[in-house]
Amino acid sequence: MNKIKQIFMNWRVILLLIFLLFSYFSINGGFFPQFWNDGVAIRSVGVNSTASRAGIENPSPASTPLEKERILSLNGETIHSVEDYYSFAEHLKANRTVTLETNENIYSLRTAKDENGAVDLGLKVYAAPTSNLRKGLDLEGGTRVLLTPAEPISDEDLESTIGNLRERLNVYGLSDIVVRAASDLSGTDFILIEIAGVTEDEIKELLAKQGKFEAKVGNETVFFGGEKDVTYVCRSADCSGIDPQVGCSTHSEGAACGFFFSITLSPEAAERQAQVTNQLTVTSEQGGDYLSEDLVLFLDDVEVDRLRIGASLKGSATTSVQISGAGIGPTQEQALTAALQNMKKLQTIMITGSLPVKLDIVKLDTISPSLGKVFLRNVMLVGLLALTAVSGVVLVRYRKIVVIFPMVLVMLSELVLIMGFAALVGWNLDLASIAGLIVVVGTGMNHFIIITDETLRKEAVTLDWKSRIKNALFIIMGAYVINLGSLIPLFWAGAGLLKGFALTTIIGMSVGVLIARPAYAAIIEILLKE
Amino acid sequence: MLQKIKHVYETKYKLLMIIPLLLLILSLVQIGVQYATTGDFVNKGISLKGGSTITITKDLSISPLEVEQSLQQQFPSAGITVRTFSSAGRVTGIAIDSALQDSAEISTLTKALSEQFMLEKTDYSIEVVGSSLGTNFFKQMVIALVFSFLLMGVMVILYFRVFITSLMVILAAFCDIVITLAVFNLTGMKLHPAGIAALLMMIGYSVDGEVIISSRLIKRQDGTELERIYGALRTGWTMTQTTLMAVIVALIFVQSEIVKQIMLILLIGLIVDIIVTWIQNVGILRWHLERKRAKHLKQ
Repeated sequence: MNKIKQIFMNWRVILLLIFLLFSYFSINGGFFPQFWNDGVAIRSVGVNSTASRAGIENPSPASTPLEKERILSLNGETIHSVEDYYSFAEHLKANRTVTLETNENIYSLRTAKDENGAVDLGLKVYAAPTSNLRKGLDLEGGTRVLLTPAEPISDEDLESTIGNLRERLNVYGLSDIVVRAASDLSGTDFILIEIAGVTEDEIKELLAKQGKFEAKVGNETVFFGGEKDVTYVCRSADCSGIDPQVGCSTHSEGAACGFFFSITLSPEAAERQAQVTNQLTVTSEQGGDYLSEDLVLFLDDVEVDRLRIGASLKGSATTSVQISGAGIGPTQEQALTAALQNMKKLQTIMITGSLPVKLDIVKLDTISPSLGKVFLRNVMLVGLLALTAVSGVVLVRYRKIVVIFPMVLVMLSELVLIMGFAALVGWNLDLASIAGLIVVVGTGMNHFIIITDETLRKEAVTLDWKSRIKNALFIIMGAYVINLGSLIPLFWAGAGLLKGFALTTIIGMSVGVLIARPAYAAIIEILLKE
Repeated sequence: MLQKIKHVYETKYKLLMIIPLLLLILSLVQIGVQYATTGDFVNKGISLKGGSTITITKDLSISPLEVEQSLQQQFPSAGITVRTFSSAGRVTGIAIDSALQDSAEISTLTKALSEQFMLEKTDYSIEVVGSSLGTNFFKQMVIALVFSFLLMGVMVILYFRVFITSLMVILAAFCDIVITLAVFNLTGMKLHPAGIAALLMMIGYSVDGEVIISSRLIKRQDGTELERIYGALRTGWTMTQTTLMAVIVALIFVQSEIVKQIMLILLIGLIVDIIVTWIQNVGILRWHLERKRAKHLKQ
């Protein structure tokens, strides 16, 4: 009894307990744990969607997982899971009012058909988080894209490229994303993008597009994509969608569908267009009078579409322009989807403008969410089995059950400390950090054994306890600084793919060596001292 | 018998150092042959070479060989191979490797798979790597390792203030990595970037053993030299045992192919490290101490 009191009076143990308490608060986001949270949390809100019109806001990228708005019920029906949400959303009809209750507010949504003709609230949801730990892509599923500029670019250009890519993803209603620069030892720049959840193929395609949009009449460019020339891009059903005048057509090789959307040009761009068209001549054809040159749309130097210009537009500085294009596919249904996807891509590029440089995809991973779940469960099971096996070895070696308890408890508290830190700084736990955790736990086990042996070994009986502990901590400290030396270069190697590994290992070893392992030494001293 | 081994270990330590040296030479030869025949130091997996891997963890109720044959017929130029992976002896999924890198080509492949095996989008994972990244990644790792070794050396000198320990730690890390890589090559498995991380993890584990013998042999004065070696040996052996146990358990039960490779490399590395630490490192340090004593006597 006295020994237990002694343990809790020891300053090393007290320090560990204080840090554990901090970690607990950081992981749970407060005093009460939220493990029983069910329902779904809002990952992102589509731009101009039903939900955003009702005042639901996109979660800020800086918000912690537990701060995300949670949907409690829809029309009074409690939503327990992602499946509940989607089975409700599937049966939505247009022009109805939906009451959506979240943990923060009650919203009234007016449903409407979107450009694809479907009824969608415009929300992307996922199972509500139960702690502030961010599961990385390997555990949660999602898409990881590693891009590299096709030619060397300046830091400012890299920054603006990253900003542009983020904006493009936002147009698609994705806000819970990681877009960051990385580089390697030879100075090559990379852009790493991580998108949680299921991602449509068109988004991946869009990311690598430079997106240089040009509208030309003859050899003259009249306007470019981007907000300088294009002030507004229509994305609602009344001025965008499948072109009613063109519609879809089927022929022997497949089907084709035409789309359209209107844009508003800036006065300068309209003036430029007026000057160019003023020099053209009017030709008469069947169906009407047109100008001698077409308005040709180029995306990344490839012709997208060619539009005839009505004779009445000659020399007029019109700001309203209709953009059109087509999608093809083996069946009409596929052609329709392709047309709408092409439209959305083009709209996105018109809004965000072109990237300063062409990008190449160097790595693209799509991780299925169900695989991630299975993976996490399996890793936890294996961890438990390994812990049991290791405890067995330790028990056989020391034949003292009193050694096992502090060893296992301090090891678990090391894990809690790392998790607490991860939750605090908001870093994602992925495969690389799990590999890091394995190193931390492994060296942790080594160090517990070193501490135990240094205090129990025959040769040490002549030494007092203080020098035994000092000897043990000297070895551990040495191993720690040498390991630091080996890990630091990894920060810059391999396009940042090993950064998570190096970071987790360094943080884990640091909290282990500086906080947890000294506490273990103190406990062992108190327990084994005669 | 045991006494004999003990006697050889205690007295013939210089001669014994031939074993790790021989292993190192053989390993360098293996890696050299590998390089000469395939153009690479190691059998690179898709993620280091470029190409794509589709992983399915759903029971397809069809043998992987049939999947492979059927896909090879449909996509003759894609270089498709199918692997299975298992946990505790049970097949838990298949992985389809191909040389495809273009997203359009890959989506035709996934579409064909989805139709054939009724897969949902969430049933499979895809990893696509451009060939430039792989080559670059490998080169980067070598540069990073050189820096790692140098920094480690500096840290050891700062900590122990003895040059020989620094040399020993770097040499041990080098031997661990080279020999483990050679043994890994012999298994015929393909290296994943996580496997490279595993090679680096080994440095972390082996450093613990090296610091123990260095501090017990050089810094301490209690007991005889041999007593101190055996003391360190006992601690080191317990450490190796616990890690080996954890690694073997993980190797049997873990489903993720990537974690499995990490564990396999750690297993090889741990066994290699036993030889490197207890023959090579102990030998170097004893040699050093012997020379120091001889110098002392002369004075």
